[in-house]
Amino acid sequence: MATLFTLNFVTPRATASLRDSTKGSPIKVPYLNQPMKRVLSPLESRRMQVRAAPDSLSEKVEQSIKEAQEACSDDPASGECVAAWDEVEELSAAASHARDRLKDNDPLENYCKDNPETDECKTYDN
Amino acid sequence: MAVCPVYTTQSLNSTCSISTPSKTHFSSHHNHLVFYRTSKRTSKRGGSSSCVITCSAGDSQTVVIGLAADSGCGKSTFMRRLTSVFGGAAEPPKGGNPDSNTLISDMTTVICLDDYHSLDRTGRKEKGVTALDPRANDFDLMYEQVKALKSGIAVDKPIYNHVSGLLDPPELIKPPKILVIEGLHPMFDERVRDLLDFSIYLDISNEVKFAWKIQRDMAERGHSLESIKASIEARKPDFDAFIDPQKQYADAVIEVLPTQLIPDDNEGKVLRVRLIMKEGVEHFSPVYLFDEGSTISWIPCGRKLTCSYPGIKFSYGPDTYFGREVSVLEMDGQFDRLDELIYVESHLSNLSTKFYGEVTQQMLKHADFPGSNNGTGLFQTIVGLKIRDLYEQITASKTAAPLQATKA
Repeated sequence: MATLFTLNFVTPRATASLRDSTKGSPIKVPYLNQPMKRVLSPLESRRMQVRAAPDSLSEKVEQSIKEAQEACSDDPASGECVAAWDEVEELSAAASHARDRLKDNDPLENYCKDNPETDECKTYDN
Repeated sequence: MAVCPVYTTQSLNSTCSISTPSKTHFSSHHNHLVFYRTSKRTSKRGGSSSCVITCSAGDSQTVVIGLAADSGCGKSTFMRRLTSVFGGAAEPPKGGNPDSNTLISDMTTVICLDDYHSLDRTGRKEKGVTALDPRANDFDLMYEQVKALKSGIAVDKPIYNHVSGLLDPPELIKPPKILVIEGLHPMFDERVRDLLDFSIYLDISNEVKFAWKIQRDMAERGHSLESIKASIEARKPDFDAFIDPQKQYADAVIEVLPTQLIPDDNEGKVLRVRLIMKEGVEHFSPVYLFDEGSTISWIPCGRKLTCSYPGIKFSYGPDTYFGREVSVLEMDGQFDRLDELIYVESHLSNLSTKFYGEVTQQMLKHADFPGSNNGTGLFQTIVGLKIRDLYEQITASKTAAPLQATKA
């Protein structure tokens, strides 16, 4: 997970969101080949924990709910509020589909779907 | 019009070229009969004569079904039941985008209409529109591609990635025997509506929707009862304005309501489901109970069949729905045992089954699907069988037409 965070940190999107990102200077990536050797300065490490984009759907759902509640606190009938809650609904649906898919993820079944003639997967039904 | 007009010229030695629409696939899915006469000997006469075979629309016999339902699309239960009636499991296209919403089986291809969003998630947020709003959807592209698939032309359909909220690069969709378009707006655009051979609308009442969404979302960390309620309330105006009116165009509406058998029930576990079937639809004969066109109320539980609480109650009768004649078959309650299901099936008529007990067999095949013990599963299965019957009737009538043309 640490490597993932490091990579996220390097993407232009993430660096642009940093307050003190050096604009115009090339992004230094000496640690891409040796992710473990990266040494974080205290400022950067704190920022990384706050700014990293959510990977998983659940975090996205959580964040979208917070955003929707913020958007609706000003004006409940506005387009932003409605669109924000629609996004929550969309992400919740995607999250529930992902959960269903995880539930059905039996490695043997997945293998046998593609290779039914192998020894492990042959069925004798008569 | 399943006839390919063949234009031949007077000359004996003629070279024929087949000009077909681009990207037509001569795969096993199509029964293209192309007759052409080629001659290796070059014509000595001046003026090359070519014979052109044009294949007109409808030759590929693609039947298009529209399914309107809220909260997007995907591997929903109805689609799995429907594709299972035709045989085979529907799966996402192999080797393509893993976040594709399309499902492909031997006979059917299911397309999610979310793929025709013109605005991605950030675009919609900027403009302040929901996915329900027609402004967020490209109906022209939807019409063009559905028309092309219906005519037997493969298309490059965009993909809307529900996880990232972006529009991914398109994927190739080959015309199937049965094309199902599922989503929020299959019947919204009039041109698309005219392409549909059969349309279904899933009408979930507000109380049931709330109960289902609670079941779905309470497992999510960020959600609470208030957030779920707020989400439903916020989407309601757009839903009522754009999605709900589509039910008047549907040939079959499956309406899901809270049960009337349990007073003050708010769990939403027992459901009252109504199958509203439009009369006079071509190739579609409504299911009926006991006597077509009469009103009947039936409780199967009694001496022959013992049911547990709250039991089962059926009713059937003619009605009007948005000014149109319909027949309504209603089931309230739950199935507990196999013999209840087979008992009920034996008393329903016009089910379009191929053998006695087919409905029960289909329901048992997917006993783990939600709704397998109540009217939702039963009516979805019945609609699936009706669609199979409709497909067979359309296919039979299309193959009969050219035979008649050649005879004439």
